[in-house]
Amino acid sequence: MRFLIYRYHPEKDQKPYMQAFELDGLDKNKMLRDALLLIKKQDESFTFRHSCGEGVCGSDALNINGTNGLACITPLSSLKEPVEVRPLPGMPVIRDLVVDMAQFYKHYREVKPYLVVTDPEPEVEFKQSPEERSKLDGLYECILCGCCTTACPSFWWNPEKFRGPAALLQAYRFLADSRDQAHDKRLEELDGPYRMFRCHTIMNCVNVCPKGLNPTEAIHNIKRMMMKDVV
Amino acid sequence: MSWRAQGLRTWLLQRLTAIYMALYLLLALLVLYSHPVTGFTAWHDLFHQPVINIATIFMFASIFYHAWVGVRDILVDYVQPQPLRFMILTLVSILLLALMLWVVFLMFGVLQG
Ligand code: SF4
Repeated sequence: MRFLIYRYHPEKDQKPYMQAFELDGLDKNKMLRDALLLIKKQDESFTFRHSCGEGVCGSDALNINGTNGLACITPLSSLKEPVEVRPLPGMPVIRDLVVDMAQFYKHYREVKPYLVVTDPEPEVEFKQSPEERSKLDGLYECILCGCCTTACPSFWWNPEKFRGPAALLQAYRFLADSRDQAHDKRLEELDGPYRMFRCHTIMNCVNVCPKGLNPTEAIHNIKRMMMKDVV
Repeated sequence: MSWRAQGLRTWLLQRLTAIYMALYLLLALLVLYSHPVTGFTAWHDLFHQPVINIATIFMFASIFYHAWVGVRDILVDYVQPQPLRFMILTLVSILLLALMLWVVFLMFGVLQG
């Protein structure tokens, strides 16, 4: 199977380039991550992030044949040759397929991805009914792989100001939580022309999310909440 | 409303103006279908009616506001240098405001004449 891999070593290379690799007798039922590990055996200077190998940790998010996805759950049989593997788009490259995710995490931190409670803490536990809990389904499963945010043109144009789909999905995850008490603050923080309203419902995020989540819907729900507060 | 609050407001107004334009167009087609405008007098009589006159002013206001939000969105995405963005936005604002004044001028003229 033929591969074209993005290579860039900032200290040695003037410019990034695509390097061709060939793997013979590859089991097509294996995942792209397995192939990348074999490529690393051929050329040990090649580097990429990976960890759990089963789509749980979100480390090996890559741009695969033009679409973002996790290498560890992308079967080789689903890929057209030559398989072009690049780092996540719109992110600063540290080396080869490894990108600097600092901006992504900064936006995540900004939405305060934790419960904010002002009431005195209950003695035993915060209670939540099954119905209230079910509102968090489709939100809490995010593994912060970054596939969605780096596939979003609005994020490419305004990476410092637009929160991006992943952070906005998490913003809604806490807005939808019956135990959270920072509702107004959270909404106020997201208003303005940039932080959320750069979203033009392009829906690349929904297309690429390896967990099948829907950030666009979450953003829509945040707008609904804002409107309810105005009316 | 503060600059920070402008996200929701412009977004909402963009949608409301879209709905208004769609409704106006639908009604306009119906009216024009039942009362074909054949000449200047017919056109004048039509826009002499205050309801139609005012509705038309609002129609153009909607178009221009909608256009302004759209252009602003494009500029914020694709024109990154702040001074250039500000300049284009100012020019577009002046152009749209001038067009709006012209529409008001025309419509009031018909109303009085
Ligand atoms: S929403 Fe999906 S694509 Fe985006 S970071 Fe979370 S798991 Fe990854």
